[in-house]
Amino acid sequence: MPRVSFEHITKTYGQVQVLRDLNLAIDDGDFLVLLGPSGCGKTTLLNLLAGLLDVTDGRIMIGERDVTDVDPKDRGLAMVFQSYALYPTKTVYGNLKFGLSASKLPKDEIERRIAWAAKLLQIEPLLDRKPAHLSGGQRQRVAIGRALVKNVGVFLFDEPLSNLDAKLRTEMRLEIKKLHDSLKTTIVYVTHDQIEAMTMATKIAVMNAGVIQQFGTPDEIYEQPANLFVAGFIGSPAMNLRQARLSTANGKTEAVFASGTRFDLSDYAFAVPPTDGTGVIVGLRPEHFEVGAGTTADSAAIFDVPVQYAERTGPDASAYFVFENDLLALRVDPDIAAGLKPGQQVSVRYLRGKAHLFNAQTGQRM
Amino acid sequence: MAFRWSRWSPQLALVPAVAVTAVAFVGAIIWTVYLSLTRSRRLPEYEIDWSQWTRQYERLFKDDSWTLSLQNLIVLGLGSALAIVFGFILAAMIDREKRGESLFRTVFLYPLAVSLIVTGTAWRWLFNPQYGVEHALHSIGLTWVNASWLATPETAMYGVIMASVWQSSGFYMALMLAGLKSINSEIWSAARLDGVSLWRLYTEIIIPMMKFTFVTCAILLSLGVIKAYDVIVAMTNGGPGQSTYVPAYFTIQALSGKGNLGYASAAAVMMLVITAVIFLPLVLVTAWQQNRSARTAT
Amino acid sequence: MSDLTIAQRILGAEVAVQSAPYFPRKKKAITGRSIAIIVFLSICALFFCIPLYVVVVTSFKTMDQIREGAIFSFPTTWTLEAWDHAWNTACSGIKCNGLKVGFWNSVQILFPSLIVSIALSMITGYALALWNVRWAGAFLFILFICAFVPFQIIMFPLISMTATLKVYGSLWGVALIHAILAMPVLTLIFRNYYKDIPQEIMSAAIMDSGSFWKIFVEIILPMSGNILIVILILQITSIWNDYLIGVTFGGSGTQPMTVNLANLITISTGTTRYNDNMAAALQTAIPPLVIYFFVGKLFVQGITAGAIKG
Repeated sequence: MPRVSFEHITKTYGQVQVLRDLNLAIDDGDFLVLLGPSGCGKTTLLNLLAGLLDVTDGRIMIGERDVTDVDPKDRGLAMVFQSYALYPTKTVYGNLKFGLSASKLPKDEIERRIAWAAKLLQIEPLLDRKPAHLSGGQRQRVAIGRALVKNVGVFLFDEPLSNLDAKLRTEMRLEIKKLHDSLKTTIVYVTHDQIEAMTMATKIAVMNAGVIQQFGTPDEIYEQPANLFVAGFIGSPAMNLRQARLSTANGKTEAVFASGTRFDLSDYAFAVPPTDGTGVIVGLRPEHFEVGAGTTADSAAIFDVPVQYAERTGPDASAYFVFENDLLALRVDPDIAAGLKPGQQVSVRYLRGKAHLFNAQTGQRM
Repeated sequence: MAFRWSRWSPQLALVPAVAVTAVAFVGAIIWTVYLSLTRSRRLPEYEIDWSQWTRQYERLFKDDSWTLSLQNLIVLGLGSALAIVFGFILAAMIDREKRGESLFRTVFLYPLAVSLIVTGTAWRWLFNPQYGVEHALHSIGLTWVNASWLATPETAMYGVIMASVWQSSGFYMALMLAGLKSINSEIWSAARLDGVSLWRLYTEIIIPMMKFTFVTCAILLSLGVIKAYDVIVAMTNGGPGQSTYVPAYFTIQALSGKGNLGYASAAAVMMLVITAVIFLPLVLVTAWQQNRSARTAT
Repeated sequence: MSDLTIAQRILGAEVAVQSAPYFPRKKKAITGRSIAIIVFLSICALFFCIPLYVVVVTSFKTMDQIREGAIFSFPTTWTLEAWDHAWNTACSGIKCNGLKVGFWNSVQILFPSLIVSIALSMITGYALALWNVRWAGAFLFILFICAFVPFQIIMFPLISMTATLKVYGSLWGVALIHAILAMPVLTLIFRNYYKDIPQEIMSAAIMDSGSFWKIFVEIILPMSGNILIVILILQITSIWNDYLIGVTFGGSGTQPMTVNLANLITISTGTTRYNDNMAAALQTAIPPLVIYFFVGKLFVQGITAGAIKG
């Protein structure tokens, strides 16, 4: 039984239609990440779920209840905000307590919950402090605590880690993931950071321009991107996307690049049998290249390309080659990267069975 | 609940304010405009003689003391504009020479804390023909000085202007200071490097940069001048004769002095018209600016 | 309504809350220009202080000395006679019970006026700034216009209304009028202040509690300290110094001190006792001046350190 569902959601601001006929179902206990660039509508969708915005059309269900017209405080949700939104004149204790304002709980129950949340998040020594005297990470925890004390089934996160520095971000990612594992609540999490999405989510909804591009597990999103947008959005360095034409000459299915290089597609799982001459975009992940000519048996294609430059980021390295007036990004071993000189002509090959093919006109996966 | 309390409670909380606005402002204005078309005297009459509905206004425009009031309004406005100039000079000086800023500010601003009746009383005393400043100056040999401005119709308004400038210069100085401080300090450095003379610096660079501040001050001043009433009461009571009549004073005199409600209403409506004329540009500019920022924000 | 015109108060209050950090002052060498500036400013300061000086000095003189005519001179004998007269026996119209009557009236007018005007405007500003009211924009525009409406055009209807409500001439009548006239400006000030509160705090509060009043009392009100102080100073000064409302709506028993003072100096029966008049003026001016000298620094610092908001 889906725990949260959006049915035919439309949201318009004056003349601008931000969301159009959007449908999404979230299962109980899922950690759903709404992933996308700024302006894609993910925060709008979250705010619609929270009740902070009203839908122009459509229905939102939480469990069995239609909550489309219900006040935020009555929806059984808790939310953690990007800037934490702690009440500046209240102590940490006061902030946590205010979180329970809507529920009429007996005093000892309130005490109990606050104590439990404080312990879980290790903020017990901070209970008497005001937000101004807390660090970013501590404020983060208090914000989460405020949500926890509500003891609800659905948590909403609005880009909570974007105000933290890199190290703290990694720590908090683990914390949130741990929380999810232990509490087993449903989480709806908004971010533009694909690393957060890939590491924390059980399901990802990639959004662009108000439309869900793909909905699936992180693996599905990564291994089988449904269209060009998803393919280009996930992965760092980004997937290489190159134009080519399909050829079924000589019984072999191949993609032919403008420069003539041929790409073997015999082991590609086409959804629809390929037609000769179709314009396609070939997607090549940087990590599926190998430097060196190798044999045609294990390569789908061999490129003879000059080096543009190579860069090393600690344990990883990337190398960029010039191919058809554009750069081809490869993941390489740091040792190999060290040996590459700009201008040097190198053979690189792409492994079999790892290609992605998209229709050049529709952008959809083929 | 189908009835969303969160949507209704703020609107309910706004009811008193809306009621006050509707009744005490909008309703009252409409009522006064209506009365200005009637022949009400001490008590309101509600029938309008449509053949003569501009009767009160015609009387008004023929009334010498109303004409005088309008003239005095302009005189007061121009004279009080000195407060802006004075305020700017004070601000510019304080801004240049930071020493003693706090002390000077305190001194220049204290008149704002005092009632206009008190101000009027003080200056009335200073202008006293027998014992005031004139007498003091005469007694040290400056017998040609005339400092009892309130005694003659020609000069009475100047006395009022003096008191008004004294009262408000500090405020304009404070606004100008804030405006000056908002000017990028690098401009001063650049001017020094360029060797620009002080006079040119101020007239060609600084003052144009503070256009907005000046406009704001001008509008505030105009509105303050239209409202001028207390100071007239304290200093001259409209006299000598009617030489210091201003529209606000005229209107209240027409009501309480002459007991002519219809006439006073007409004068009040004219006051509103004058206010609107000054106020309209401000409204339009604000609305236009809001429109612009709203459009660039989406 | 008040001597500080309404728009002045809007600007003053808005700006008062934004205090910029104080820039450390560099010790500049004393140049000729510096000296010239300081001399000029000091002369101007003198201009501003002379009226105060004269009033003070006159109030301590005897009438005999005043008749000698040296307005700038010190009192030869300092006497509190004028102060006593002004406070206890000065005539305001028919009654001759001194300015103390007006003083206590002013004090009495102050509290209900403050409470009603601030409470009404604060809640209205809060509702308009932080809650989704569809007609808020239009209403604010109307309020903006109302702020500039001259008192005279609503004067008679207000008199009529207070008479109907049977509060004309009473303390509460005056308080009501003060509240009504101050509402547009104060509401705009509060609204602009509350607009600066981050939207996410309201969102969190709506999700936590959702109650208009609870959020106001527990979250917003505690955050309003800054603006409340400024508004209080503005309103106290304005109400205390007001003349027009006091004279129009105050009955014989509820006239504020300014009205007393005005009556004293304009209605002259027999010889004018200038020292009494000056003492009376001082007595009327001292309460707001005291506030100004003690707490006005906050207010003044705000005006000069902040920027001007349109």
